[in-house]
Amino acid sequence: MELLCCEVDPVRRAVPDANLLYDDRVLQNLLTIEERYLPQCSYFKCVQKDIQPYMRRMVATWMLEVCEEQKCEEEVFPLAMNYLDRFLAGVPTPKTHLQLLGAVCMFLASKLKETIPLTAEKLCIYTDNSIKPQELLEWELVVLGKLKWNLAAVTPHDFIEHILRKLPQPNEKLSLIRKHAQTFIALCATDFKFAMYPPSMIATGSVGAAICGLQQDEDVSSLTGDALVDLLAKITNTDVDCLKACQEQIEVVLLNSLQQLRQDQGDGAKSEDELDQASTPTDVRDIDL
Amino acid sequence: MSEPPRDAQQIPRASRACRRLFGPVDSEQLRRDCDALMASCVQEARERWNFDFVTETPLEGDFAWERVRGLGLPKIYLSPRPRGGRDDLGGGKRPSTSPALLQGTAEEDHVDLSLSCTLLPHSPERPEGSPGGPGTSQGRKRRQTSMTDFYHSKRRLVFSKRKP
Repeated sequence: MELLCCEVDPVRRAVPDANLLYDDRVLQNLLTIEERYLPQCSYFKCVQKDIQPYMRRMVATWMLEVCEEQKCEEEVFPLAMNYLDRFLAGVPTPKTHLQLLGAVCMFLASKLKETIPLTAEKLCIYTDNSIKPQELLEWELVVLGKLKWNLAAVTPHDFIEHILRKLPQPNEKLSLIRKHAQTFIALCATDFKFAMYPPSMIATGSVGAAICGLQQDEDVSSLTGDALVDLLAKITNTDVDCLKACQEQIEVVLLNSLQQLRQDQGDGAKSEDELDQASTPTDVRDIDL
Repeated sequence: MSEPPRDAQQIPRASRACRRLFGPVDSEQLRRDCDALMASCVQEARERWNFDFVTETPLEGDFAWERVRGLGLPKIYLSPRPRGGRDDLGGGKRPSTSPALLQGTAEEDHVDLSLSCTLLPHSPERPEGSPGGPGTSQGRKRRQTSMTDFYHSKRRLVFSKRKP
């Protein structure tokens, strides 16, 4: 008797659409509209009284863990952080509401980007049942209202393919560069420093940091150093110096997070198994800077 | 319909991600803040569109609202009553996201009526609603069926039964 295994990847994906990815008008339009979705101010200074930068980092780290454990699409986490930042830029919020808001933002981003979105119940469990599904649904409306229902924000991920296809990299290196760049984008989303940067700059900086990081192990690029930065800057119309600064900041954040990770491992808090489940932040330990 | 793939993605036992970050959450305060923020959303929308979405009446302002009939909207937008019961998730408690929205609205009107609005030509202000939206359509007549459905769909969201 022959047994047939019908298990397939349950997530249906569209094939890459050449009309969207290989048309420069799309890139130009993204560059034109991206600023509309940035938070309106640096809210720790001008809006929030209770919430401190470290609290944003706490909630962001938690959101990233949830997104990874639930194997969300890569865009879900940065998009959710965009919602959170835009909400906090307008609404003074006590810190006790912050985790609820994080959950709501993941709920919305997941619905926008995924074929099978996260459920309210599951998200509530991730808050250790400190909020109820009903509260999540009510606050969903509040967040939608405050974001004026503008949910289709531009994220750094929107630029990655546009950038990669213009680089003179051999195709077989692209997937590794892409993977590392995605990791850096997630890392940037956890750090408030990057919240007001245009997504195109974060994307360009992340690709640059990915190539530089990989360069040390093997030859991934025919371009190096300044030539690479110049090309990257040209692709997304970013100022060269800004881009360099952004890439340096990404590398600093990466180093910090690697140190943090080593500390955590030193504590023996995570088993190797747990580490392997995560696709994003822990992958950075493979990168030797 | 069930959703096996995501269900298969169960929360691992003793997941480190299951944790509360900032101590106990005060449900009462959540409720109060939620109500206040919803009310401010309603107020913003009221000023933005010079339309009272609570009583569904046009107000003085840049937009001229008129009632229209027979737009051939899909039924779902016209259902006079939200599907599902009130006690789906609230356990019989009245959802108070936007109590004002639930009262005194002429729901029956929506069976075959809707409102359209025209931006009055003299208006100096450009609608800043949606990016890439019809910002330049000053004086052009637009169908604004979505305006009234805006709050209807909110109501449905609050009430609608979650799929098992």
